[in-house]
Amino acid sequence: MSNMLPSILNGHAMNEHTPLEAQVITVTSGKGGVGKTTLTANVGIALAQLGRKVVVVDSDIGLRNLDLVMGLEHRIVYDIVDYVEGRCRLRQALIRDKRVAELFLLPAAQTRDKTAVNPQQMIQVCDELRKEFEFILIDSPAGIEQGFQNALAPADLVLVVINPEVSSVRDADRVIGLAESQGKTQIYLVINRVVPARVKRQEMLSVEDIKEVLSTEIIGIVPEDDAILSASNRGMPVVCNGKGPAALAYRDIARRLSGEHVPLEIPQALGWWQRLFGKAS
Amino acid sequence: MIAIKGYRHGLLIVFNDAAQTPWFAHLRELEAKLDATPHFFRGSSVAFDVKDATLDEEDLRRAIDVLRTREIKLWAVISQNAETCARVRSLGLADRLTTTVAARCTPEQPAHLSEGARNSPSPSGEGGDGLFVRRRIRSGQILRHPGHIVIMGDVNPGAQIIAGGDIIVWGRLNGAVHAGALGNPKAVVCALEMSPTCVRIAEAVYIPRTLERGQRKKRAAQIALLKEQEIIFAPWDVLTHTLK
Repeated sequence: MSNMLPSILNGHAMNEHTPLEAQVITVTSGKGGVGKTTLTANVGIALAQLGRKVVVVDSDIGLRNLDLVMGLEHRIVYDIVDYVEGRCRLRQALIRDKRVAELFLLPAAQTRDKTAVNPQQMIQVCDELRKEFEFILIDSPAGIEQGFQNALAPADLVLVVINPEVSSVRDADRVIGLAESQGKTQIYLVINRVVPARVKRQEMLSVEDIKEVLSTEIIGIVPEDDAILSASNRGMPVVCNGKGPAALAYRDIARRLSGEHVPLEIPQALGWWQRLFGKAS
Repeated sequence: MIAIKGYRHGLLIVFNDAAQTPWFAHLRELEAKLDATPHFFRGSSVAFDVKDATLDEEDLRRAIDVLRTREIKLWAVISQNAETCARVRSLGLADRLTTTVAARCTPEQPAHLSEGARNSPSPSGEGGDGLFVRRRIRSGQILRHPGHIVIMGDVNPGAQIIAGGDIIVWGRLNGAVHAGALGNPKAVVCALEMSPTCVRIAEAVYIPRTLERGQRKKRAAQIALLKEQEIIFAPWDVLTHTLK
């Protein structure tokens, strides 16, 4: 039924100099450890590289990570809770990422918990950010409790990140159901950490298997990439300078989000012939 | 006289002559009704229609307690009596059955936001009204209706379907279902692809062995029904024979 809705994947705004109407995108998954934070950081940077005005928001209050992955940890002075409780202006809490033109981070507080902010306040924060930015990316905490509700409340578009395995898909199903019941209609799937060879050996779910259970449109398929781990540890996300398969996939997701039509490629395992003579043959 | 109806957004319990009978008598009747088929109600959130009865705060609190001990949540009370409505609001309950955001947040709401269901006077059997749902039922969502339930779409693992009457799934059934949950052993479950995690019909339970659950069933429509207190499965095409 989701294909009856107008899809952003058909492409609309080709001209990168036309400013887009502000869009709040919540990155969520239900299950932890599937790559939400890495995706938020990379897609945020990739969107900024496309010339968009972007802010990434860490809503994982008490367990903040996005600043680490982006390498901005040492520059935090104020955070989202300071702003909500009136200790600073929004501008003061925003940290500029100097690697790209228009990219900011709104960090979470590390000392508090999820109850420090409520959904209504998240909506207000995002409404404030809408005035300045084209893309507001919210990194949601794992789970379906208040932290998730906070992240979901202001969303215009929901990106559900999954790994090709049964428990991740089951949690995503629950999250999609909850998002639908909050009236969200723009829900897209990112399949993360795909290893084509393992899909072929049926150790991992295939894209077809996942479509069958979730019937949600797929906006990106990110292959497993060794570069991710070291990039996250160094605070230098792969899209900054990487040309690996994951970096390419993140850039494609960013292009689709900003309205370009980029066909979705399902990564295939290479046969022995292709491995010997390269993919082209 | 208490009637249980399926409303567009869940269950509605109607107290038909609420003003003429003392409230405690109503509650006793309600308790009996809830305890007769606890499976049907457990975990649900319900609304009351108390017609023109005048209820004070104590009356309402007692009703909430009766429900709470049975793991049922009262989310709304509708009434033609202005005094009762005011009490209802002061207790933080809804006094109308519109889908406000608050109402949607009750656990019952997610699965049936946009479906049309009419009131269902007869719990099951031929001619009983039903709930028609055209969507996928996802993990964690519950569909509950005193009549029949027809679903055009798949029922995912982790979803629950509870009907007073029959359950028909025009799609894959991978969740848990309870047909005849108001005590009707003649109720049936049908699905184009039958691979549920649990099937209940009236009091009977069938839980597939883990092995069967993992296996991919052949895509043949099946019917589950109760025969000598045991749930059996048969190809759907024998439906007409078995029901005679």
